[in-house]
Amino acid sequence: MDANAVLLVVVVITALSFDFTNGFHDTANAMATSIATGALRPKIAVGLSAALNFVGAFLSLKVAATIATGIVETKAITLTVVFAGLIGGLAWNLLTWYFGIPSSSSHALIGGVVGATLIAAGTSAVKGQELVSHVLIPAVLAPLAAIVVATLGTYLVYVITRKVPDDVRGRGFKLGQIGSASLVSLAHGTNDAQKTMGIITLALIASNVITQDAGVPTWVIIASATSISLGTYLGGWRVIRTLGKGLTEIETPQGFAAESSSAAVIFSSSHFGFPLSTTQVCAGSVIGAGLGKRLAEVRWSVAARMGVAWLVTLPAAAFVGALAWAGADRIGGDLGVLTVFGVAALLSGALYLVSRRAPVNAGNVNDEWTGPVGMARERSA
Amino acid sequence: MSDWLDLAALWRVLVASLVAGAGLAAAFSLALVGFSSGRVIGRVGAGLCLVVVAAGVVLGLYVMLRK
Repeated sequence: MDANAVLLVVVVITALSFDFTNGFHDTANAMATSIATGALRPKIAVGLSAALNFVGAFLSLKVAATIATGIVETKAITLTVVFAGLIGGLAWNLLTWYFGIPSSSSHALIGGVVGATLIAAGTSAVKGQELVSHVLIPAVLAPLAAIVVATLGTYLVYVITRKVPDDVRGRGFKLGQIGSASLVSLAHGTNDAQKTMGIITLALIASNVITQDAGVPTWVIIASATSISLGTYLGGWRVIRTLGKGLTEIETPQGFAAESSSAAVIFSSSHFGFPLSTTQVCAGSVIGAGLGKRLAEVRWSVAARMGVAWLVTLPAAAFVGALAWAGADRIGGDLGVLTVFGVAALLSGALYLVSRRAPVNAGNVNDEWTGPVGMARERSA
Repeated sequence: MSDWLDLAALWRVLVASLVAGAGLAAAFSLALVGFSSGRVIGRVGAGLCLVVVAAGVVLGLYVMLRK
């Protein structure tokens, strides 16, 4: 594996940056419905989610030693490929954040690595069947499974509590929703912070900073946990708005059913070894919560926009990953990697500045839905 | 087909998700019905439902942490 001090530092910084975007992109998964129903005030919700993500990062000790395991040939994964893959994942995370689209950070990272691998080592280094069976098919099944569970859950919740006084029902489901959303946050911390820990540990091993059997250094665990929880606390308000207000108007019982469904599907898939994207599960649950309540409306145009983004995730992140690898390779050496890193940082900063023209924040995240985030016709958010 | 899709695992995920997701949500709802009934038997039933929900949460945490 190619390794030197500059490349190592750049990979570590890029990995922590990806971890940060992973956090703020995915705050919505756990907290969008709680914010939309008023079960938690926006700042409290993101604070709670950040704390649970931080704790979650320390709870699971099994760290994936590699990324995109089984999808690309291990020998093809160099540090430059990892760097380019991270840039691909980062770019997709930021672009979907700008447009307020819930999208899987894991799939973005896999797409970035696949793209960089394709251009670095050729098509033979990517296992097509594994890509389909581990990423594409689960991407279709995740929302469907969540829709089924959340639809049934929402229906049952409304039927069973139809004679319960509104105040008892509202209070009870708010408490239940906080509990189930907390579970989703904790699960997110145990799963997603591990990806960054794995990448940094891999880079440290490749650079002979630590030995193969040294385990994850404590500073890597703390840095990854801090990065993802900091991102979570800043709150990806744009994605929260789409998930909490855009897909359907959520009432407290629906929010409770959606979060329960998400937690159940995530835990079950983890237990039975059928990995499903947390983001896709949570989005499916919100749609199911809309379908399960009589006369509730699901905004299918918003759902379709999200579905298209999911279809494009892999090729788009792969394209950027390939471009990043080609750029670094063409310029060559440390300068190549530093140039690509600098360009990526500049573009990210530019996207942030553009997003300030129509900011979404804790103050307006629950405003009446006027259209997709990041689109011209959207006014209030 | 099995090379592309682990149907056995998928079925398990679906059944477990339905039991845990919809089932526990229903149990929590029954607890609210029991608490709002104003009768002792209702409150006892509500307590039992909450015990079932708590057991489900503990099981979920156990599953998550033993990975």
